Amino acid sequence: MSLSRKSSSFMQPFAILSWVGLLVCTLLYARPALAPGVGTPPGWLLLGVQAVFAAAVFLQERARPDRLRGLDFVGLLRNLVFGPGLLATVCVVLHLVERLLKAEMPGTSPLLFTVLYTVNVGLFILFLARTNYSWRSLVLFRSSARLRRIWEWFELLLGFTLLLSLVPRSLPYSLTTALLGGLAVLGVYISSHQKWVAYLNRRQKIQAVLLQSGVIVAMGIFAAYFLQTQYDPLLVAPAPQHAFLVLNAFFAAFYAFMGLMVTFFNLPTAGVFEQKREEILSLQRLTQLIQKSQTPEEVYRMLFDSAIQTVEADAAWLEVESIDNSEYTGQHYHVSPDQAAAIQRLLTEYNLGHIEYLNNDLQNSAGFRSLELPYGSLIVMPLRSSKRQYGALYMLKEQRQGFDRENLSILQTFTSQTVLSIENLQLMQASIQNQLVQEELKIASSVQDSLIPKDLPIDNWFEISSHAQAAKEVGGDFYDFLHLPGRRLAVLIGDVSGKGITAAFHVAQMKGIFHALMQENPLARNEREKFPVPSKFMAQANNALARCLEKAAFITASLYIIDYEHGGFVFARAGHCHTLYYHSIKEEVSYFHTAGLGLGIIRNDSYEKHIKNQFYDYNPGDVMVIYTDGIVEARNAAGEEYGENRLLLMLERTYYMDAAVIKEKILADLEEFSRGQPMHDDQTLLVIKFRASQPDIPL
Amino acid sequence: MKINQHTTDHTFTLVLDGELDASSSVLLDTELNQPSILEYQKVLIDCQKLNYISSAGLGVFISHLQRFQDANVKLVFFNMQEKVHNVFEILGLDSLLTIVPSQAEATAI
Repeated sequence: MSLSRKSSSFMQPFAILSWVGLLVCTLLYARPALAPGVGTPPGWLLLGVQAVFAAAVFLQERARPDRLRGLDFVGLLRNLVFGPGLLATVCVVLHLVERLLKAEMPGTSPLLFTVLYTVNVGLFILFLARTNYSWRSLVLFRSSARLRRIWEWFELLLGFTLLLSLVPRSLPYSLTTALLGGLAVLGVYISSHQKWVAYLNRRQKIQAVLLQSGVIVAMGIFAAYFLQTQYDPLLVAPAPQHAFLVLNAFFAAFYAFMGLMVTFFNLPTAGVFEQKREEILSLQRLTQLIQKSQTPEEVYRMLFDSAIQTVEADAAWLEVESIDNSEYTGQHYHVSPDQAAAIQRLLTEYNLGHIEYLNNDLQNSAGFRSLELPYGSLIVMPLRSSKRQYGALYMLKEQRQGFDRENLSILQTFTSQTVLSIENLQLMQASIQNQLVQEELKIASSVQDSLIPKDLPIDNWFEISSHAQAAKEVGGDFYDFLHLPGRRLAVLIGDVSGKGITAAFHVAQMKGIFHALMQENPLARNEREKFPVPSKFMAQANNALARCLEKAAFITASLYIIDYEHGGFVFARAGHCHTLYYHSIKEEVSYFHTAGLGLGIIRNDSYEKHIKNQFYDYNPGDVMVIYTDGIVEARNAAGEEYGENRLLLMLERTYYMDAAVIKEKILADLEEFSRGQPMHDDQTLLVIKFRASQPDIPL
Repeated sequence: MKINQHTTDHTFTLVLDGELDASSSVLLDTELNQPSILEYQKVLIDCQKLNYISSAGLGVFISHLQRFQDANVKLVFFNMQEKVHNVFEILGLDSLLTIVPSQAEATAI
């Protein structure tokens, strides 16, 4: 391509130079006296210069980029007519000037006529080149490789005719005629390629007819001019490149004529094509609009409007089965609800209520005739997906045979697109809802996470190891520690019923209550009353929660106050899991079975009766395991629960180890037990191992 | 979860079948919320086929407890499986609710 571009820029000065050469030669031919030394140039030289000029102009046009931009055929024709069309006008003007001069100054003219003639020859060749290369764009539009090859041969042979007049006259006349005739036939064959016409709409076709007529008229003006000047006694000009010019002019005119005819006879069908195009476009519009809309109702309205427009229905109604009590049930267009209902009743009687149905002759079916409808054709198009029926679209036309299969299929596409959009909207809403829930859970989870103490109490009197893992759905496990004066430690563990953000709030509330109630009472009469005992704590907590916990919610908790200076602890259990305990002297593992009601179940003062304190003196080496129900209720593939027994067995096997190791062993066992199963509930596990009382050594 | 109900002159019986978790507890709540339920002397809960109860399920019973007490309607559970009973017991509900081993005893109360 770059080579031909280069040749294009190279050809332009070459064309101009050769035209100037042609002018000089023609002038010398007409008036040899102008340059006495040179004399009359020979005929072959003149023809040669003409040939060089024609070749330069054609090559230059050939190398130009394709004039056809996209599908803008009309633009191509317009450029051609207003370019070369203007050339023709110039030609006519020059001709008129020539005539005028001839009348006014009879003596001076031949030389001027010769100049004008040469100008016109140049213009004509330019016009031919422009036209034929415009035609090339049209011929080769979506053409086959074979046609491209034929075109190249056609160009080559046309080029060859330039040499024909240079050959000595010895070439037999019949051979020349046969050759030129053959080329003309090839031109006719090529002119049959008018594929582009199919891409025009009605308006463009009319424009194309006018523009092609313009090309033919311009061609005619040139032809008339040359025919007239040929015999003008004033003109003294050499013979032109006849074969080449005639063949090119013939092809240019014939292609324009063929195109004109094809376009003209295609005009009646343009409407049909345009309607199809309109259908496709409105489908596209529908799709775009549907994607933008927010509610199913908007989608249905759009379907209804587009369908009426596209099939040009005289009346229609849309019936929508309401989803989740939405108010929209359809709409009517030029048909009364009574009429619609009557037709629907009839269809139901015939068992045609919700199937695709086309009746193009309503007057001929007894049932419809009895309804006395002003309509002749009916389409019923159900809206349904594989999942459910959404409703149906009914379209009516006054005339019989009003609908065709294409209407049916386009409506089918419309409705399936609509159903798809409706389902997409539903999915999207579900996904937004889902996202909100996820977001809420994320917040709850981070709240919960922030409520779990990050630093465990460190002392050389005991070891504590903890584990907390939230299930995907946030539950409400919690635990906390608080150092009390006099080598005492309060340990709280619990579980809020319910899930999500409410549970997380209640956890926060419970921790607030814990920290608030575990404050030293300045009015206490003795040391023991400075801090509430666990049962008192539970009663007060129950009281505090009574007002803010929703009706169906409750909290289970256990509070242990460990006095490690005296080697004992007191605890109360408010409905929370039993404490698992290893007794080092008895060398026995057992659960503390104590009574105790969950918090928030009874919301009055009688709660205190349901909660007990339990005191216990521990020995070095004792192990306490406290946990939430997420541990013992974890399930295996068979649906069995991990259970208290298995937990007890685990402690029997591990009690002599460090607290952290005991915890790890239990968790590993739990993991093995419930492998592959989803986690239903939060799991919290604390292991506390008591050591012998030791002097306070700074760590 | 399936919940069946049948009534005699003075008793209203709910038969729970399956797992009572967060989603199925909504069904139970609807059943217990019927205003007509307070016209009976006793509400019996048949737990023979109740395999599991979550805290949400317990919450439903707890939330109706006060209402039944105020209306003088007895709430009686019977035929409870051991692991379900264990859940009631841990939470301390066994001291608060009437839980009896068999239907005969439940009717006799």
